[in-house]
Amino acid sequence: MTVSPVGRDIDRVDGRSKVTGTARYSADYPASNLAHAYLVTSTIGRGSIRTMDTTAAQNAPGVVGVYSPANPLGLRLVPGIGEQYAPLEDTQIRFRGQIIAMVVAESSRQARDAAGLISPTYDEQPPRTSLADEPRVPAAGPPGHPPSALVLAPGVASIEAALAASDVVVEASFHQPMQHAVAMEPHAVLAEWNSDHTQLTLYSGAQLPHTAALGAAIRLGVPPTAVRLITPYVGGAFGSRVIPWYDAPLAAAAARQLNRPVRLVLAREQVFTVVGHRSAVNQTIKLGASRGGVLNAVSHVSDASMPFVGYRQMQPAVDTSAVLYKTPNLHFDQRHVMLDVPPTCAMRAPNEAPGAFALETAMDELAVATGIDPVELRQRNYATVVPGTGLRWSSKHLDDCYRVGVRRFGWSARRAEPRSRVDGQWLVGMGMATAIYPGNRIPDPVQVRVRLRDDDTAVVSSATADTGTGGLTMLAITGAHGLGVPLRRVKSELGDTNLPPGAPAVGSMATASTVPAVEAAVNAAVAELIKVAVTDPRSPWQGANSEDLTYENGHLRGRGISMSFGRLLTTVGRPSVEATAAAQPGPEATQYEFHSFGAHFCEVRVNRYTGEPRVTRFTTVVDVGRVVNAQAVRSQIVGGVIFGIGHALLEDNPLELDTGRLAASNMADYMVPVNADIPAIDVHWLDRPDSVLNSLGARGAGELGTVGSAAAVGNAIYNATGTRIRSLPITLDKLL
Amino acid sequence: MNPSENADDSRPGVSRRSVLGGGAAVAVAVPLLVTGAGAEAAPVAEVASADLVPIKVEVNGKPVSVRVDPRTTLLDTLREELELTGTKKGCDRGQCGACTVHVDGRRVLSCLTLAATVDEREVTTIEGLARGDRLHPMQQAFIERDGLQCGFCTPGQIMSAVGMVHEGHANSDDEIRERMSGNICRCSCYPFIVDAIRDAQKVMR
Repeated sequence: MTVSPVGRDIDRVDGRSKVTGTARYSADYPASNLAHAYLVTSTIGRGSIRTMDTTAAQNAPGVVGVYSPANPLGLRLVPGIGEQYAPLEDTQIRFRGQIIAMVVAESSRQARDAAGLISPTYDEQPPRTSLADEPRVPAAGPPGHPPSALVLAPGVASIEAALAASDVVVEASFHQPMQHAVAMEPHAVLAEWNSDHTQLTLYSGAQLPHTAALGAAIRLGVPPTAVRLITPYVGGAFGSRVIPWYDAPLAAAAARQLNRPVRLVLAREQVFTVVGHRSAVNQTIKLGASRGGVLNAVSHVSDASMPFVGYRQMQPAVDTSAVLYKTPNLHFDQRHVMLDVPPTCAMRAPNEAPGAFALETAMDELAVATGIDPVELRQRNYATVVPGTGLRWSSKHLDDCYRVGVRRFGWSARRAEPRSRVDGQWLVGMGMATAIYPGNRIPDPVQVRVRLRDDDTAVVSSATADTGTGGLTMLAITGAHGLGVPLRRVKSELGDTNLPPGAPAVGSMATASTVPAVEAAVNAAVAELIKVAVTDPRSPWQGANSEDLTYENGHLRGRGISMSFGRLLTTVGRPSVEATAAAQPGPEATQYEFHSFGAHFCEVRVNRYTGEPRVTRFTTVVDVGRVVNAQAVRSQIVGGVIFGIGHALLEDNPLELDTGRLAASNMADYMVPVNADIPAIDVHWLDRPDSVLNSLGARGAGELGTVGSAAAVGNAIYNATGTRIRSLPITLDKLL
Repeated sequence: MNPSENADDSRPGVSRRSVLGGGAAVAVAVPLLVTGAGAEAAPVAEVASADLVPIKVEVNGKPVSVRVDPRTTLLDTLREELELTGTKKGCDRGQCGACTVHVDGRRVLSCLTLAATVDEREVTTIEGLARGDRLHPMQQAFIERDGLQCGFCTPGQIMSAVGMVHEGHANSDDEIRERMSGNICRCSCYPFIVDAIRDAQKVMR
């Protein structure tokens, strides 16, 4: 009997390649006759290019091509997807840091040197940059997600009336600055065409391999089938590799013109503007409640920055205030403010992290206003159906997250009165917040191929991506589980559009969406195996009925014979059998609401004299269904929590209003947490399978930890200091 | 600039002075790039082969001779000339630690180290840490403790961790955290990196 690896601590199957330096990321691929590209970006925030003399660059040593509006590459924009401009195709400047030229040379240093010789002149217009002052526009909202909603109890005239009728009202406004994914691998691509330019191979990090290839194909004006994208290793993504930016199309177009492979690696400062960021957002939350803390009204209004150049709308209320607490009156309105800033994109928990910071801070303020313990307050408003609907959750154990978290963290030691715990020069405080993130499967079919080989090994393949999530290991684990064979006999592969289209590594959906497809592919491959067994003349089961054979733990059994699949394949002289199968959600997708849940508990110390805030303890308890790989889930939740600590205390990129310049375009100025910022983090999961979502009961976990963790830090800082900071990051100057 | 092991260099005995001379030329060229003097500026003169600096360096235990532009970093030389792409470029300005390697056993940021300065020295990269198939204890510990996710910062983390243990400065979790804070991990594996280093240093002693 083979023990299933599901739920155990499994080392990453690609761990060895990552610790030995043999894992190849996009910029690591070799090519013969390789040329190197370097971008030039705009130094004004809005206007147009008046002149751009590229003579010096063209004459610089090693330069083989200079592309600019005077010599463009003919790229097309994809209407409605990604940025709504095509670089070099016109002279308009839409944001500071926009691509305005590209130099290709024999070496990367020659390309960079020559790029520095291009210095355009501009006709400048003042960029529109103020989130507070520019006009607000209603959000369009993606299909099925209205940007605004109003639910009122019978007889209630308006949300204002509901608030006015409440015993206690909390109103609070929050500001969060632009945030950047800052994946460790700068965006990079190697583009290589075949000799007659009919097939392009792109080596470039992507969360959705097929979508990235498709996007590049459209921008290049070639058929989608002409582009193969290879992305087995991705140096972090966090939303910044959901859709392709213009790096891959530019490199590919130059490679086509120059008739040689081209590698383009963005400089770190270019990643901050060529690649999207999370919108800055102002939010106002109003909570009306009884003296006992029972919510009567929730109102959530957001104004998120939206670049004129396009891409992603932020919707911070949809999966927070709209679903988290029981309330008879609910209002949300998610508006946009159009600005001349670089494109926005999804960033880890794109809506939920900012939304939960606002809502969960406001809930803490309600706890203070009513004198009710913050955990008790949340339990008094526990939702069992989605507010305004009768929809139930597929599986929800948030109450247990609170209960277990209180015990593990030692919440009972908390004193409600701020500044009541002092340890030397440190004020000590505790705070908590709720985590919630959608637990969906991707609506589209997800394909997986399972190949059984004559050496008793199997290969599980799917063009999903492993951005550090453990996706490759997840494929192997679920394959071994389905086949009932030891994990060491299962190889997995992903990150190549030559493989069957797999689950996008977005929205914490990859595992939940892939599990059913692996199961289907295992069943289909076993059916193929049985077909061989009953038809091949060399098989001991030739002529038997398929129904007489059973597959279990790597063996076929029937008629008193048992044989491993490898032995059968060897016997009949076939190296392998394989099958590809697809899976997609059924009617349950609309019959239930699907979320993962969690509870964060945080202890901070704030220096009485310097205001320095330090996170000293953190406990997070999550309800993510059944865990496929304990090690990977622990890492994902911890990583998510640390993202939240970064949001709370460090990450900021002020926009210079006059110029549209981002103040922090490197990794010293845009501060993310480092090792010394982070204490040991205690993570626990309930391990209650969500059997409605998929057969294993596995739900997503990648983004959940990021949701609410910033609020838990801020709430702990309030408990320590009595100072409520509603504008992130909470830096020491705000606490003095 | 093809590296060749034990190659006889035609210009032996390059002096520190000539290296500095090459460096001084950079001081003239760099302002043109930074200020973007633009179309009026004369193109930067190509570094004539005579200006290339020959260096002899032991990389991962193997002697290598290579001629480098005096402005070239050790990072670019490793990645682009020696095809040792395990060392990563995360920021190219000493802010992230992904390019950490050892020079004469000390951890250095290869993006802030000019290749010309490692002449006659020993460089160890992530590719040179394992002994054949046997992983270095730090590599093994990073796998077992899941001190990595995307893996991009991992070579730098491991080289930095090994260097720190050899420095004798991994005596407590807080000391590890402080002395590993030059290596950013955006996947945020920090607690597991600390676990891995604590495990590995017991074996390394």
